[in-house]
This record gives sequence, structure tokens and C-alpha cells, in this order.
Amino acid sequence: MNENELKLLWQSSNEKLERNLQVNKKNTDEITKLKAQNLLASMKPIKIFTLFVGILWVLFGGIIVTKLFVYAYDKVSLFFLYSAAVQLILTAVAIGIYLYQLIMISNVNISDSVISAQKKLSYLKGSTLWSAKISFLQLPFWTTFYLSKEMIVSGNIAYILVNGFFTFIFVYLATWLFFNIKYENQNKKWFQWIFRGKEWQPILESMELLNHIDYYQQLDDDNASH
Amino acid sequence: MTNSNELSLRFHQIIEQHKGVLFKVAKTYCKNEEDRQDLLQEMMIQVWKSLPKYSNTFAITTWLYRVCLNVAISFYRKSATRQHLNIPLVEELTSIREEESNEKQEQLSLLEKFISELNDLDKALMLLYLEDKSHAEISEIMGLSVSNVGTKLGRIKEKLKKKFSQFNS
Repeated sequence: MNENELKLLWQSSNEKLERNLQVNKKNTDEITKLKAQNLLASMKPIKIFTLFVGILWVLFGGIIVTKLFVYAYDKVSLFFLYSAAVQLILTAVAIGIYLYQLIMISNVNISDSVISAQKKLSYLKGSTLWSAKISFLQLPFWTTFYLSKEMIVSGNIAYILVNGFFTFIFVYLATWLFFNIKYENQNKKWFQWIFRGKEWQPILESMELLNHIDYYQQLDDDNASH
Repeated sequence: MTNSNELSLRFHQIIEQHKGVLFKVAKTYCKNEEDRQDLLQEMMIQVWKSLPKYSNTFAITTWLYRVCLNVAISFYRKSATRQHLNIPLVEELTSIREEESNEKQEQLSLLEKFISELNDLDKALMLLYLEDKSHAEISEIMGLSVSNVGTKLGRIKEKLKKKFSQFNS
């Protein structure tokens, strides 16, 4: 069977199907009653809840840390103050990136050409990995917030060494993850372990699509240069 | 198109006249019937939402293919919360496949199987090609140059031809 015969077969089969399709008027009527959905309404409840808790955490922690900076700077441990401040700032940045991406994704013009719309969508979805990269940067600060000047000066040297070792490991791990969390590493075991689960699948698929789009556009560039 | 009744009427006309486009795109991207109904619903919602922005710069089918393919390729169907409707949006009244001869049916099933193995962009190109869209139309829908459409289609067809000959031998 040649390609023209296949084309004819495809078309005749679909023509018959098309003649027999019936659109359910009741449902199309329902669709026309849909009001413009806001961003929140289009999100899954668990994501709204996580975002809400994250924002509350940043606001609540932010107020406390700011007050400590302003009114009790010389009374509290600076290790605690700076560790907490950095954690809150990094969380705020990760939430900000996530929100920015959601807003940008909801604003993509779906009637744009396929390559153009998909490139924007895939790029935005794929860059969600940035939220994860930034969140991992918090790791070392979980090993420093409970330290104090007194512990360093007169504390148990073994304890300080062990703590220092873990801080070093976490600094190394956070930096390594920051530079290595990228699509190219998606087949590595550690990457698949971190990004296992359904919520990450669309993001990884977006990145794969972005690769296909690049390949398509490369062909356009090649054709233009010949 | 200023008034909402006119918009609603236009929406119903588009869906009625071009239901085949929606169904064919959904069929190409979703094998599972339940997912297909979800995808069809999402496509209709996006057509409705995008309709006020439609301008005559493009033919309505070009515009519709863009919306439907974008919805099918993107992950709206996986991530967005939708109101699930109990009644199918589009129904097939009869089983057409039974009317086809066995050999044709087998070839068609093979073609559909091979298309389902393509990546999302190649799938879109192949669907438009099988729908007999010109390279210029495909280029407008996809946002690629006409020469790129030709090159890519040639490669996909070659790939499919190989699969068919492997299967037949």
C-alpha cells in the first residue's frame, strides 16, 4: 500500500466517522457559560494548599526574623538569625519563581503556532526545576541555625567537628545539586530518585519536547543557510 | 463579534462544522476513551476562551488546528483541574471500522499504531499531512518554514515506510 492509498484510507475512514459524530449540545452550552477561570481555580487543591502554607511560612517567619534583626540583634544567636533569614529568602525566591511561571503559563496564547506556543509552555514548565534547585540551596542552613558563639568558643570540639563535617557535606551537596539538576541528567539514577512522582512527569516531558522543538528549529536554520 | 450571544452562536457553529478536527486530533493523541473525552472537553473550553481573540488573519481551520494541537500536546489534560462531565461530549453513533475490509482495517490500525509511536510534533505533522493540508497550511499551523515542513514530512514518511515494510516482511 503506497502513501496515497494510506492517505485515502485515513480520509475515508475519518469522513465516515465525522458524518456519524454528534456533538452533545447540552455540554457545549455548559462550556459557553464558563466564566474566565482565574489561576487559582485551575490549580489542584493540594498545590494551592502547599503554596498557601509556603507563603504563610515566609510571611510569618519574615516578620519574626525582621523584628529580631531590628529589636534584638545583639540578644539572639547570629547563627540562628542569618540561617533563618537565608532560608526564608530562598523559600520566597522559589515560591516567586513558581508563581511567576504559573502566571506566564496561563498567559500563553494557545492559538499561536504550535512550535511557538509549545516552546513558551515547555520552557516555562521546564524551568520549574529552578524552584527545586533553589530549595536545595537551603540544606546547609539547617545545620547551622542552632549553633551559637558560646558553643564555638567553649563547646565540645568533637561536636563542633562533626557538625562542621555535616555542614560541609550539605554545602557540597547543595552546590552540586544546584549545578547538576538539569535535563541532560534526567536518565541518572539520582535525578530519577529526586524527581520521581507524577507531579514531575509533565515537567520532564516538557523538557523533552523542548529538545524536539530545538531540533525542528535547527532544520529551519539549516534550510535558511543553504 | 461584540455580543456574547453572537459569540456563543459562533462557538456552536465552529464546533458543529469542525467537530471532525477536534475528534481527529483527540484520536491521534489519546487512545484511551476516557482521556479522549477529557481532551475533547479541554479543547472545546480553550476554543471558547480563545474565540474572542480570533481574527480573520488565519482561516478558521488553521486557527482551530493550532488551538487543538496545542491543547493536545501541552499538559493541560494532565495538570489542570477540570469539571468532569458525565455525558460524552462527542459520540460515535456507529462502529465504522466494521465496514472496512479486513486488509484495509489492518493497514489503518498499523498506520495509527505507527503514528502513536511518533513524538508529539511529528504526530501533528503527520496528522496534517494525512488530512491533505498543503505545506503552506501546515507551515502556518506549525510555525515552521515551508521547506522545513517538506524536509520533516519526508523523514517521517520514510520512517513509516520502513516500519510498514518491516511489518510486512
